[in-house]
Amino acid sequence: MTRRSIALATAAGCAAIFAAVAHAPRLRAQPAPPLPVHQVPQSKNGGTVVMLCDGKTSMEVKGLKPGESMTHAQATEVTRELMAQWQRQHPNEKWQMAQTDQSSEPVPAVKATGAKPQSRGTQQGDTYASFTDRDYKVWKNQTDNFVAEGKRLFHDGAAIGGTIGVSCDMCHPDASNTHPETYPKYQVQLQRVALLRDMIDWCIENPVKGKALDPNDPRLRALEAYIIAQRKGVALDYGKH
Amino acid sequence: MAARHKSVETKYMEDRDAVLRGLRRLDRRTFLKVLAATAGAVMAKSLLPPHSFQLVEVANAAPDKTASGTGMAGKPPFTFAYVSDTHLYQRTLNQRFVRAAVKAVDDVNALDPQPDFVLFGGDLAQLGRREELDLGRQILAEVKAPVKVMVGEHDWFYDLGDTWQEMFGPPNYSFDWKGVHVVVLMSVHEKDFWTERKMTPAERMHTVAGLDNGVQSRFEVGDDERKWLSDDLAKVPHTTPLLVFSHSPLYKYYRNWNFWTDDAEQVQAILKPYNHVTVIHGHTHQMLYNQIGNISFYGMLSTAWPWPYAPTGLPPLTIQMNRADPFDQFDGLGDGQINVRADGLADKIYSLWDRNPVTVRADYLVSHGKIARPPAPQFASY
Amino acid sequence: MKPARTLLFSLLAATAMIAWFGRAGAQGPGPLADPKSDKQAGFPTDLYSWAIPPDNPQTPAKIALGKSLFFDDRLSADGKISCDHCHDPAKGFTDQLPTSMGIHAQFGQRNAPSILNALFNVTQFWDGRAPTLEAQVAGPVTNPVEMGMKSTGDAVAKIKAIPEYQKQFQEVFGHDVTFVDIERAIAAYERTQLAFDSPFDKFIGGDQSAISDSAKRGWSIFNGKGRCMSCHGWNPTQPLFTDQKFHNIGVSAHKSDFVPLARKALDTLSKSGGNAQEIDKLAIGTDMSGLGRFLVTKQPHDIGSFRTMSLRNLLVTQPYFHDGSQVTLWDTIDHYNKGGVQNPYLDGGIVPLGLTEAEEDDLVAFLASLTSPEYEQAAKEEYDRQFKRSRTDRPQRDTAAANGDKGRGPGLAGPFGDIGPAQTGENPALLGGD
Repeated sequence: MTRRSIALATAAGCAAIFAAVAHAPRLRAQPAPPLPVHQVPQSKNGGTVVMLCDGKTSMEVKGLKPGESMTHAQATEVTRELMAQWQRQHPNEKWQMAQTDQSSEPVPAVKATGAKPQSRGTQQGDTYASFTDRDYKVWKNQTDNFVAEGKRLFHDGAAIGGTIGVSCDMCHPDASNTHPETYPKYQVQLQRVALLRDMIDWCIENPVKGKALDPNDPRLRALEAYIIAQRKGVALDYGKH
Repeated sequence: MAARHKSVETKYMEDRDAVLRGLRRLDRRTFLKVLAATAGAVMAKSLLPPHSFQLVEVANAAPDKTASGTGMAGKPPFTFAYVSDTHLYQRTLNQRFVRAAVKAVDDVNALDPQPDFVLFGGDLAQLGRREELDLGRQILAEVKAPVKVMVGEHDWFYDLGDTWQEMFGPPNYSFDWKGVHVVVLMSVHEKDFWTERKMTPAERMHTVAGLDNGVQSRFEVGDDERKWLSDDLAKVPHTTPLLVFSHSPLYKYYRNWNFWTDDAEQVQAILKPYNHVTVIHGHTHQMLYNQIGNISFYGMLSTAWPWPYAPTGLPPLTIQMNRADPFDQFDGLGDGQINVRADGLADKIYSLWDRNPVTVRADYLVSHGKIARPPAPQFASY
Repeated sequence: MKPARTLLFSLLAATAMIAWFGRAGAQGPGPLADPKSDKQAGFPTDLYSWAIPPDNPQTPAKIALGKSLFFDDRLSADGKISCDHCHDPAKGFTDQLPTSMGIHAQFGQRNAPSILNALFNVTQFWDGRAPTLEAQVAGPVTNPVEMGMKSTGDAVAKIKAIPEYQKQFQEVFGHDVTFVDIERAIAAYERTQLAFDSPFDKFIGGDQSAISDSAKRGWSIFNGKGRCMSCHGWNPTQPLFTDQKFHNIGVSAHKSDFVPLARKALDTLSKSGGNAQEIDKLAIGTDMSGLGRFLVTKQPHDIGSFRTMSLRNLLVTQPYFHDGSQVTLWDTIDHYNKGGVQNPYLDGGIVPLGLTEAEEDDLVAFLASLTSPEYEQAAKEEYDRQFKRSRTDRPQRDTAAANGDKGRGPGLAGPFGDIGPAQTGENPALLGGD
């Protein structure tokens, strides 16, 4: 089998499994055995039928034409109804809903102490329970390096493409007067609502006279990180001028 | 609607129409009356500290009673203008700073009458290189009035002042002018921080050029020069007004950015016995003023770029200038003049580019802010 | 009645009727003068609600009255000039002249601004000396080179003497004719002249095919390299392409005497007592119009400053700038491209831009996309005329200056001046939120 045909088969399989709507496109599988497909009953009233992943429980959404999408509110109603149906058909099954479930005691809030996981009294096994001091050190080191790189670029106009020897720290020593905590806000120079990075780019283009950095450019992201880091602890106040 | 409110606009509209109608039919007497009334009203609101193009101080219009009660009438002994903190790179790298420096020179050349002299406030070059200092010298050569120069740290720390002294002479000196004793200080000495770090001259200069790196030492006048100052002032009577030109502020504003002179108190002690002392300083690139005891301090504007106000340490008397607009390459910058008055005090006119000029009077400083308050900004630094 | 008298009577009546109906121009105002619907793409609902003053609400009767007045040349001293003489609906509510011509064929010093969207302006006139649309009316009516009435009282007397108007004013305002009410009525009519629904508005509304690729590039340049957006700001809340502020972009400085004039004006003003005689001489002997907003505020910072104008419907409101000195849109862009005209009061935001010819063409294509549908045909014809002219005739172009290559001063020749931002790869029009 070629790689291409495997890919096609996988794609076909995925599409088939998720075919909850009666007329979902069906890709022809290649030589591999056909994967199970749920037969979603057709709507008799020109509406759309939605089916649960058990392949059995379904309901019709009246008035929803094939191809139309539901509003959030509609979808919530439909899924609630489907779950209720399923639970009626499976009274002995326990389906743990989210926090709205009434059975559990209130869980005490856990502070991230950074301590190693204990053998008793703390939760175990999940991602956020398994981090250690060593991990925290690595994270902090990475973050500090990122900010430090931003600081370097902040003080070096040529490194961010400036052509006239002007660097950010000339007008913003210690990143003063940058107010990262006030974004998003209407930025007068751009005459539109801007994020911090938009203003950084505008400044690079205008006073610093370089080319605006792409939003994914690591230099722009580092600059943003440095500027924000200088205002640690200052309350967020978006829109403030 | 128009008849109901007499807005400022309506009043000006009337005046403006009167002016244009002067071309045709309006009765001249009425026209002149309207104009005089408006002009007077505008001046009373002190909207008219003259622009950099104009020298005549509005305060001279009427006799002024200062808080010290010495009173003042008539013309000042003299006026001088300044251009400061040009921070020139080589032309091929940066033309914007060149254009701004030339604009300032144009301003002072257009003053009528001409000032007695023009002070250059320091930081002519950005990185202390010969080409930069040469370019600056070329630009200053265009100034019509005599130029008195002062050195800044950007001029000095590439070669520890060799080129500067070769081009401009000794970094500190004094002279007398129309009854005032003028001292020019080299107030940006720094204790050696570069030898132990094995820095090259370029690295040393680059370090000093960075405001916020915290590596360089704090500015100081230094023992030797304080001694020189004492000796120089020994023969000056205490009643003689003093003008002290200094690049660093000669007081302590914000240590992290070297808006600071380490031996400020000692320098101030030397100046204390004098009745009228005005310090004119550069380095801070913002509208800034202070009063400590008998000494008034005025910071000069830069032509290159504006600095925000420091998070702490701003003198309470300083009313901030409005936030600078980075779209406008001249905003928050400019040049200015100082009028030295008959009573030995000095008023300063900040000729801000693209803004209305602001006059700060000695009366305001000496009264500790009780009279002649300068206008407030709409957006202060925070 | 004797036959002769009957004939006379009919003739008189007919003349009166013709005279009455013939008032508003030779053919009547036409459909372009009609109140406009607010169902236009890009119409700013909130801004509109802020723009209607509480003491002058819109009513159909008031609007009709205002329209009659707008097109009524009896508001002028010689009975020949009505508002539409300079604000002609067929010409984008301007007269398409460099400066306007008023009574006795006298020319003023300013280009007639358009009434379209004028209701959204914070102030009126090029120098903002009228705070409202209502207040603006008094200006031209009593200006000796415009409509030439000796006073607003004269205008009131004239209108009052017309029974039709007397009746209408009573109906709308509940009392006799006053000038304030004349202003209110005219302003109410002017507030019906809304001009949006342009191809650009539809493009912003989501129709990617509404404007050409060239116009889209122009929009990108407008936001980025051209630096236009900072003063000619646009956002859905205020989609007017103006910041409503005043800037010196160096247009007055085209005239060689501007700088000495400005210095003299400032000089005269600052000398104590504001020696009125001196100001008088200045005013009578020289052209002060170029001083712009300074004449209103007397603040040095306003010398040579004029209001940032909206960029909608430019292709029917030519020529451009406060003195109508620029004939094509390419001329205006050339002016900005080279960094305006140097003068001591030039706004520091005006710098050489380094735009290429193709970029200028794109910018003009973008500006052309700001035309409201009722002017589409006229705008297209004007665009073609301007395009043709721009291929050969470019009096403002200075490529060396635009690229920052113009030196200045002894010993300072060579590259000089600071050109604007470099061309960016990222479309700046997409940065940030609306």
